Amino acid sequence: MVFIKDSKGKGSAYIENLLKRAKESQKDLNAVVTFCEVKKQMEEVSTLSHKPLFQVPIFLKDNVSTKGVRTTASSRILDNYVPSFDATVTKKLREAGAIILGKTSMDELGMGGTNLNAYTGRTHNPWDVSRITGGSSGGSAALVAAGIVPIAIGTDTGDSVRKPAAYCGIVGLKPTYGRISRYGIIPYASSMDHVGIFATSVHDAALSLEVLAGRDDKDMTSSFEEVIEYTKHIDSNLQGKRIGIIKNVYDAIKDIEIKRQFDALVFSMKKQGACVEFVEFDKKLMEALLPTYYIIANAEATTNHANLDGVRFGVREAGDNLEAMMINSRTKGFSSEVRKRFVIGSYSLFVDNQEKIFKKAQKVRRLIVEALTDVLKDYDALIASASGSIAPKPDDSVEDKLSDTYLIAENHMLLGNFSGFPSICVPNGFVDSLPIGVSVLTKAFAETTLFDIAKAIEDISALEGNCTEVTP
Amino acid sequence: MSEFNKAYFKKLANQIMFDLSDEEIIALQEDFTLLRKQITLLDTIDTENVETMVYPFECATTYIREDVASNVITQTAALQNAPQQEKGQMIVPKVVK
Repeated sequence: MVFIKDSKGKGSAYIENLLKRAKESQKDLNAVVTFCEVKKQMEEVSTLSHKPLFQVPIFLKDNVSTKGVRTTASSRILDNYVPSFDATVTKKLREAGAIILGKTSMDELGMGGTNLNAYTGRTHNPWDVSRITGGSSGGSAALVAAGIVPIAIGTDTGDSVRKPAAYCGIVGLKPTYGRISRYGIIPYASSMDHVGIFATSVHDAALSLEVLAGRDDKDMTSSFEEVIEYTKHIDSNLQGKRIGIIKNVYDAIKDIEIKRQFDALVFSMKKQGACVEFVEFDKKLMEALLPTYYIIANAEATTNHANLDGVRFGVREAGDNLEAMMINSRTKGFSSEVRKRFVIGSYSLFVDNQEKIFKKAQKVRRLIVEALTDVLKDYDALIASASGSIAPKPDDSVEDKLSDTYLIAENHMLLGNFSGFPSICVPNGFVDSLPIGVSVLTKAFAETTLFDIAKAIEDISALEGNCTEVTP
Repeated sequence: MSEFNKAYFKKLANQIMFDLSDEEIIALQEDFTLLRKQITLLDTIDTENVETMVYPFECATTYIREDVASNVITQTAALQNAPQQEKGQMIVPKVVK
């Protein structure tokens, strides 16, 4: 079963069986950090049969706080951390009747795009376990793609839901910034962090958003914007829709087959009455996406994680004095990759560098968002191939990191994080038997339009419910 | 890159309370070479008179609430994750010798 409607209200035996399947999948996927007990949860939701997620099995990324359940963010320093409270999304899911099967692997503290850098080891792509899932929400993506649960929660700071969704052939939604509360989410970069949803259909992503969206006084960035019954408004009719193709991304993609399938999608969209045409951004702005992100995200992360020091919580390493204890705890508690990012963050926050690096990046961010807002005045949505390649293997050579393929084709979904505009990734085909995806982006809080376009793509690709048996 | 020597990175790391191995510093030096090249891409963009963008939306979502305690956790909950505790307090190595 891959849809919410098919896994709803199926009872204890069904849930126990899924939990067993998830545990058996560990040897191939290694997607779970901690499994949850389900018996008590089943009792707690027993009166919620009228709720939208009644007895629906779900996994949460391991940076989502769960009362009484270990929450590590895939970091050694939080290996023993057990929250005393539920994140708002956890609370909402429980109130909607969901059964949390476990917590999923991620790139440590959300810092990565591969899911190779998790304290419990790398996560494997169910379509081909020799390949990466993408990250940082790779564990959640793998479990939905393997057909174990219909939905899972991730977080998206720089495409961390949408890229794994593309690599795993499922739907990945990053709603508007502030649409879903982040209270209780272990952060990466606060100005770009979003809670996101994995599903195997646009409908299920929309239904999940209905459950999770809404104002939360505990999150200062949470929006007062009205929550719509998104599922009731989904309309895949493309007649008269104006859709822009991000030309910079199209030009930067080298893979001929990915381009051919994207062209075929555009052809079908036009045939259905959409006006689809190229839009082009200033190349300098597109090339600046990744460095701007890297500077802002790492600076924010360095500050956010100053509290991970082994004093009040987390794994403590011995030291002769307080400073030595903190240094030892943080040195052993964080991987090399995370410490590297902290150093970069600290570097850009140095007094001497603040103006020329950190504030410069924040100014460039504004210019990028202004350019995006300007383009969206003329279009209902922008689309682009989510990635320039299928899911790579860990040792595949990385593109030249100053090339357009790397800077633009692999990082354009940052537009949604800089602007906070909603964005979704939908599967649109296969290359060498591995899934590829298309990203859609619309104006702030225009999730209804986002789902309309995404549903049209889903209908064209006929990949609703896409998932796979694990292929060892 | 001479300014980005081993001592520089050690100092940077120690300021944010961790250490780096020699191998990690070598990797960082390589990353910084790339980072500096990528940062030059920002320098080609004119940001004269552009305001910094700190959050995506500038509409107010915060307000001053009444000065009433809310969302309080118990002492037991606050201490449950403390690596070392005694008599209701978190214990750390002596600060004043």
